[in-house]
Amino acid sequence: MSSVYDTVEPSVVDEEMLQKAVEEQGPQGQAGRIARDEGVQYHEVCQLCLDYRNILKIDHLWQFTSLTKLQLDNNIIEKIEGLERLTNLVWLDLSFNKIEVIEGLDTLVKLEDLSLYHNRISIIENMDSLQKLHVLSLGNNLLRDLDNVVYLRKFKNLRTLNLAGNPLCKESNYKVFIAAHFPELVYLDFRILDKQTREEALSKYQVVINDMRKEDLLELKALDVKRRDEEELQLHKDAFVEFLNGPYLFESMYADDTEAVKLAYLPGFSLTLLLTFQSQMVALCMQVFEMGLEQHHRRKAEVSCFFECSLEAVRENQQKATELVAAFESCRREMQQTTDPKLLEAQQKQHLDETCQLRDKLMILELQLVDQLEEIIKDFERNITDMVGGFIESVQGIYPFITTCRDLENNHNERLQEIAVAALDKAAANELEEDMPEGEQLPFFDKDTVMNAVSASHDIHLLKIDKREDELVTRINSWMTVLMKSIQDAEGKRNRKRISEIHHYIDYVKTQLDEVTLHRTL
Amino acid sequence: MDERRKGATIGTESPKIEELLQEGQGGRELEEMEKSPSREAVSTARPALSPRPEVDPSRCPTSYKENSPQEKLLLAVAENFHAQYSHLYPERKPLLLCPLNECGVPKFVSTTLRPTLLPYPELYSWEGCASFVSDFLSLEPLDAPIDPPKQLSSPTWVLQTRRGNCFDFSTLLCSLLLGAGYDAYCVSGYAVKEMCLLNQSHHECPLLLNEKKEKTEEQNSPVKKYSVKPPKDLCSGFERMQESKQQAQAQAIILQRQQEMERLEMEKERPSPDPLLGLWVHSWVLVLSGSREVAENFFIDPLTGKSFPTVEDCFVGVESIWNHRNYWVNMQDCRFGCSEMSYDLGDITRWEYLLFDPWGNPALPVSNVKASADLVDGDEDKEDNEEPPVFEMPPSWVKRIQISEQDMEMRYPGGMKVIQYRKARLEKFAPYLLNDGLVTRLTTYKDVNCIQPITMKEWFQHRQDYLQERQLTKADNVTMELFRPGRSYSLKSHRYVTLVPETEREMEFYSHARADGLAKRVELPTEMTETFEQRTDFLYHRHVVFSRLSETSDQGQRSIEKVVERFHRNQAKPASEDTAERVFLISEGRIQVTYHSEDDRIIPAWLSFVKPHDSQKQPFTSDMVSMFQVDPFEKPKKNLLLYEMLMSLMKEEEKVMLRVMDSEKEVRAILALREQEERKIKLHISIYNTARNEKARTHREMKARLAKEEQVRREQKELDYLAPFLAKLGDPETLTRQEALQLRSDCLTDLKQRLIDKANLIQACFEKETQELQLKQQWYQKNQLSMSKEDEATYLAYCSDAMFRIHVLKLRLSRHKDKAPQKYLALEEKLRRDPRLAAHLC
Repeated sequence: MSSVYDTVEPSVVDEEMLQKAVEEQGPQGQAGRIARDEGVQYHEVCQLCLDYRNILKIDHLWQFTSLTKLQLDNNIIEKIEGLERLTNLVWLDLSFNKIEVIEGLDTLVKLEDLSLYHNRISIIENMDSLQKLHVLSLGNNLLRDLDNVVYLRKFKNLRTLNLAGNPLCKESNYKVFIAAHFPELVYLDFRILDKQTREEALSKYQVVINDMRKEDLLELKALDVKRRDEEELQLHKDAFVEFLNGPYLFESMYADDTEAVKLAYLPGFSLTLLLTFQSQMVALCMQVFEMGLEQHHRRKAEVSCFFECSLEAVRENQQKATELVAAFESCRREMQQTTDPKLLEAQQKQHLDETCQLRDKLMILELQLVDQLEEIIKDFERNITDMVGGFIESVQGIYPFITTCRDLENNHNERLQEIAVAALDKAAANELEEDMPEGEQLPFFDKDTVMNAVSASHDIHLLKIDKREDELVTRINSWMTVLMKSIQDAEGKRNRKRISEIHHYIDYVKTQLDEVTLHRTL
Repeated sequence: MDERRKGATIGTESPKIEELLQEGQGGRELEEMEKSPSREAVSTARPALSPRPEVDPSRCPTSYKENSPQEKLLLAVAENFHAQYSHLYPERKPLLLCPLNECGVPKFVSTTLRPTLLPYPELYSWEGCASFVSDFLSLEPLDAPIDPPKQLSSPTWVLQTRRGNCFDFSTLLCSLLLGAGYDAYCVSGYAVKEMCLLNQSHHECPLLLNEKKEKTEEQNSPVKKYSVKPPKDLCSGFERMQESKQQAQAQAIILQRQQEMERLEMEKERPSPDPLLGLWVHSWVLVLSGSREVAENFFIDPLTGKSFPTVEDCFVGVESIWNHRNYWVNMQDCRFGCSEMSYDLGDITRWEYLLFDPWGNPALPVSNVKASADLVDGDEDKEDNEEPPVFEMPPSWVKRIQISEQDMEMRYPGGMKVIQYRKARLEKFAPYLLNDGLVTRLTTYKDVNCIQPITMKEWFQHRQDYLQERQLTKADNVTMELFRPGRSYSLKSHRYVTLVPETEREMEFYSHARADGLAKRVELPTEMTETFEQRTDFLYHRHVVFSRLSETSDQGQRSIEKVVERFHRNQAKPASEDTAERVFLISEGRIQVTYHSEDDRIIPAWLSFVKPHDSQKQPFTSDMVSMFQVDPFEKPKKNLLLYEMLMSLMKEEEKVMLRVMDSEKEVRAILALREQEERKIKLHISIYNTARNEKARTHREMKARLAKEEQVRREQKELDYLAPFLAKLGDPETLTRQEALQLRSDCLTDLKQRLIDKANLIQACFEKETQELQLKQQWYQKNQLSMSKEDEATYLAYCSDAMFRIHVLKLRLSRHKDKAPQKYLALEEKLRRDPRLAAHLC
């Protein structure tokens, strides 16, 4: 039987075939006539059927971007290809072909119904992105491994599955296995999955199912936790105080500080000194962090209040304008109905006046709105600038964060210096050498080295603190600028759009009027 | 505890008063003084009541006809108290202390109160009690409206006769309230004339007041920070001022006129000044705060069942108050009404009590009493330290108050009650009393004399057609009917003039119960507007205009001229493709479609089609369509698309016409059904209503009968002395004579044997006891000399014990001997009567 197919000449997907198919499958009758007159654009076609055409290679379908249903069954296709651009596909039929590997479907994220019936597929794979899959037919293929089917569990919407005619169906526990692994599945192999099978599956695979459920739950939880963490971080970032609710800053201060490690070996250097320094730093950071969050909430409330009010104003204005236009439009339509020539003429004149009036009215309304919005935008800008300024100031100076940080660091530094000097004195007296480890003796040969190390460490710490401060200030400022700019832009855009809309409408009415007059004079 | 305990003798008063009292003058003088206001002026129009039913003394319990010693003591105390009181305050009216009851026996008022909680949930709250009392009884005015009555009937008698004066009312109400746990008191005092005579024709109907209240509710939204300022007003302020001045003037004139009119009307309505103001005796109920979560003191007028704050000026004065424990006389000045009164009953400068009762009033701290009492006469306490027992209020002489379920349901005397309000008349009926299920009817009038009715509102219950309320406006003859959920077509309300189709009407539906989500349908002779709710296709409005031509004759179908359908915004579609309005101008052959306007636009896009006369033959051309696209840069729609739209719209048009016809059919069906229902009104009887539901009752009775029969049968079976012998014979259906005789003799021998056995048993016991005693006696006599005293005592105790036992056994034996032949004869007699054996034995 295969020899019969082999003798047939494979055909190529070309312009002619596509044109013909589109015309045949497009609208018929009167509609078809109109369609032919107008010409059909390939990118508007929604359905295409290319069955029984001996197509060997899928090709030239990239133009059909809005295609939702594509039938390529009963051909001799060997490889799934050339479908990447058909992202709107919902229904894809590739049954009765010679496909060996599932591939090239990654971009078809909207796919719900996929048929690969009667092909030569041996492994289910490469379908990760088809999350909407509802119906899947893989019957009459070469699937052997039952465990491979578990791959399909990732499709939460899968309700219908066809695996009939595969070697794996011969396995004794095939049905029960599927029923156990797909609790949501309704139809299997053209039949409804009955209760009995399900119960059997439940008893047979209880352990597996429980494990699966547990895994799912864990996964879900992990995802949830991750999402929550991300959300929190995002909130902190929005408040510009991320990583200030803990010893992060302190740790980063010491992360790049190689000298500190060495200094720790100084005699008289106690761990408590470092610890108190750390706890003081952390307390400060927490203060700033909390203030940042609070300020963030205030800013957020301010912004949302502004948007709410401006939206309200725009809505109200729109409402008025819409009413005006609607009244005018109904008037105009009524006028179009009158047939009495004399009356019509008078009406037309009046109508022209009314049109001008309407335009003026709409324009006035728009100008009013622009004025009103400009005012509140100014208010808002002032307030938000005040807020941001206040926040920066309190972080920078008045509120003793950076300054205090610096003070703390300086204090710490002084203490270190004192300790260093004391240690050096002792070194000079040669009292040290017994209890110092061998390698560490080196830096304490002279005073300068030690003092240099201390100051280098100090510099690094200060640099970190400054950097954090700079980052905060720049980011908050840029946020403000972007926000204000976006508001201004949106307002400008809105204004332009409205004005063009009014003009467009008035123009349309006028041309209509002219047409009628022209008609009359003719 | 203190001297006040002898309150029974009113220790507070000085001996001087008692001397005076002995002369026996003070009281009489006072009585004469009280008779002064003329009776004739008072006996105004009184509703004619049937003569009072006579008391049948033989059916009254003894407590009604006699006084217990305690009560007698109480009466003496009260008399003493009254005598002193009337001597001290000769200008005050006599107190109502011991009126006669219905049997002519004097009873103290507090004992007439019988706190009772009845097993009806509605009587658990004061509102329920008050409205029940006001509904249940009919008022009998006082014999002398300015004197307290001479007679006060028991609540049971009042409930039985269902009539009484205001004191009877308040006694009953107070009994119920006390039973329900309220801190309630009967009040004897003075009120305005309208209240005493239950004349409410100057009051607004409470039902109407509620409606007015509901209407006045508004909400203001708060001002936000960034709200835009309103646009500048460019009109001249001066001009506006002038204009408003003029308007104000004009309005002032109108207002003045209106006020004048109102004033005149008010004057007309105002009752003539009452010469007896402040003298009308009335009785009501006072509820004090504290118990049952009552936050503030208030009055209840038992005649209307309404509550009043204690400062209400229709209560003119308070003479005395009492509950089931005590009696207090008001010592406060009531010249300016009750608004200044204090109800702290522990304050003896304001309230003089009759009985000292340290536990009776929980609101009163004991220490307080002590202190105040000490102040009065502390020296007396030292003289006699032995404390006389506190005299407590004797229990009520009244029997338990009982109200049957039937009475409860009938509620009003005779099942109906009419109340006249200002410009309104309220009629109440018991449920199931009227055949059409009417329970309340409220008629409002234009004028005070109640001649020209404005509206008539009726409430129904238990109607099988679910009718709940009907309102008829007289002016335009419009009827409004409200239905409960559950009717066919989910009809909720119906407003109409006549029940003829194609006239003006308005129907509302329970839209959630309908598949098409129809909420309202308004009809005019040539128009129909339907409103929908929560439809999946977002349709919410359909307006149909029918042709004016009176071609209604052919099959009653009117031809449709125009259909307008409006849709809500479907957020799933872009605005320019989401239809907002479809207008099918059927007579003109055109279809107009307007789309929703986008969020930031003010002008919607629209399309207008001219229908081809023959869609098959006439080719589609672009001049059949006119359209406006909001976005000038958008590509114009393709002809193919337009053609397809036209086709689908034409199909829709046909569907819409069918739907309109369905609606018309529905209206006709509803009207026909309503007419049929009104012609033959049926009332729904719940299966739990055992009194009315015939089926349920017969079922219940049959069940009861079966149960009884079963019980009787079982009893017989249990007592069947023939059963064991019958069982021996193998339980034959019928007995032969031989068998019967055998049975009889068996039965009798068995009994005889048992009796003999019993006699033998007793005899054996007897003999054994005697023998033992004899043995013991012998043993005693032997060892008498060598016995200790204790042993001797035990021996004597044993002897007396044994003698007693022997005596008992002897008695038992002799009685058995007496009884045994009787028992034997009785069984013989029974066997002769037994239906199974009777046939063979006689």
